[in-house]
Amino acid sequence: MQRESRIAHYVVGVLTALSLVLLSLPLSSYVRALKACAGYVLDPLSYEGERGYQRLAQAPERVREMLSAQIENGHLKEELRATAWLKTTVESLAIENDRLRRALGFKTPAPRHPVWAHVMERDPLHWYSSVSIDAGEDRGVSLNDAVLGRVADAVVAVGRVVDVSPHAATVLLLTDERSAVAAYLSSGTLEGLVQGQQSSERLLMNYINPEARIAAGDSVYTSPTSVTFPPDVLIGRVAEINQRDPFLAFQSVQIAPALEAASLQEVLILRAHPSVAETAVPPAAPRAAAFEPPAVSSATVAAILAKRRRRATPGPVPAPPPAAVSASSGTAASAPFVRASTAAAPSPTEARR
Amino acid sequence: MSSLRASALFVGAMLLQWFWNTHLSYWGAAPQFLLAATVLIAARRGPVAAMLVGYVWGLYSDVLRADLFGADALLYALVGYAAGLVRRQIDLQTTAPLAVVVLLLSWLYFVLRGLLGLVFVKSFYWAGWIPVLATPPMNAVAAMIADLMWENRRMPR
Repeated sequence: MQRESRIAHYVVGVLTALSLVLLSLPLSSYVRALKACAGYVLDPLSYEGERGYQRLAQAPERVREMLSAQIENGHLKEELRATAWLKTTVESLAIENDRLRRALGFKTPAPRHPVWAHVMERDPLHWYSSVSIDAGEDRGVSLNDAVLGRVADAVVAVGRVVDVSPHAATVLLLTDERSAVAAYLSSGTLEGLVQGQQSSERLLMNYINPEARIAAGDSVYTSPTSVTFPPDVLIGRVAEINQRDPFLAFQSVQIAPALEAASLQEVLILRAHPSVAETAVPPAAPRAAAFEPPAVSSATVAAILAKRRRRATPGPVPAPPPAAVSASSGTAASAPFVRASTAAAPSPTEARR
Repeated sequence: MSSLRASALFVGAMLLQWFWNTHLSYWGAAPQFLLAATVLIAARRGPVAAMLVGYVWGLYSDVLRADLFGADALLYALVGYAAGLVRRQIDLQTTAPLAVVVLLLSWLYFVLRGLLGLVFVKSFYWAGWIPVLATPPMNAVAAMIADLMWENRRMPR
């Protein structure tokens, strides 16, 4: 006991002296070195402890995320199944629409073959003029193919293909001064010509009826008379109404494009022809041929339509996409690009009418 | 107690102190597990072991602070020494006296720490009313719990 007591006196003396040195000389190199050593040895305890704690603390969150991901996965699978059904419906309606058009003697617009591509290069000196994309002849892109972009869930007009190489293509943007596209305003279906302006992000819409009342914010869509673009594709919104020039027989407005050139990353090209690789796989063409009806008169078609209308009224037939029943909207390829007002289909019966 | 278990307790006490300080302390009040454990070691294993272990634990506390490097090391060593002296007079292997000693030594710790601040940085180091009033009872409770969990109770002195 005495020995332990004596050792304790020595130890406390040594430790006290050492501590007083540490406290007295906090800035000396020895003390700082000792502190650094102590930190080097003891700090990992806190560091690793915090990491371990974070892992444990995040575990419930990760489990929750996994569960929500599983639930979402189930919902997405359901949606996918529904989409498959929708696709089948659209295809059959497109075939029907095409058949009826032929029966009525309307000219059927050539089908388009969409393909997505990435924006590969953008010249800062021609920011609003053109972009290069990573799809060319190898993917069936050809001159004057319409190029669309994506804003949220809507698809908007971007430009057209002006140069095609084996693996790339150049897109002339609508904002380029050489671009022009027939368009109409949502407020009164007034037609005009949307053109690009030199070094400006805005578009100019000319040749609008001078008596027309235009409001800022009106939407501008591609016209059915446009050769390059499918109809009813959003171009932009009226940003400003220009002062009326007394020497001109029309008025013009400034348009803010729906998709800015700077935010363009992916584009949808509406090709006139599919690529060779795609044509190698037999598509739905034989099926279309199987549905090909014999030539019938307009009166017969009208009778068939009336009969179908009566049949469709009570039944729970899913609403067809409006593009398939719109005479001006063309083929099924243009169905997703129809503006929201046109796309609203209250009931199957109305949609068919 | 095997050396492995002793090492695990040594590191475990530091981890517990760090975790409680970081994630469970409110208004600056958190039990000083290391101080309570130092007293407990002094009661069970004698003052020398308590001083050495307490000194390293004190250095660990000092490393995490910006000022008064060495203060906690000195105070924990002194706490171990004082507990070693007290255990000759009082039976610290009983829970209640141990808790009382821990309570008193905790308050003594705050006072000495303030005085060290007065000496070395020219201002009394005041931790605040809440830590000063709340921490010692928490230390006493922690010491009681640790004492109950101690494996080799009633070691011959």
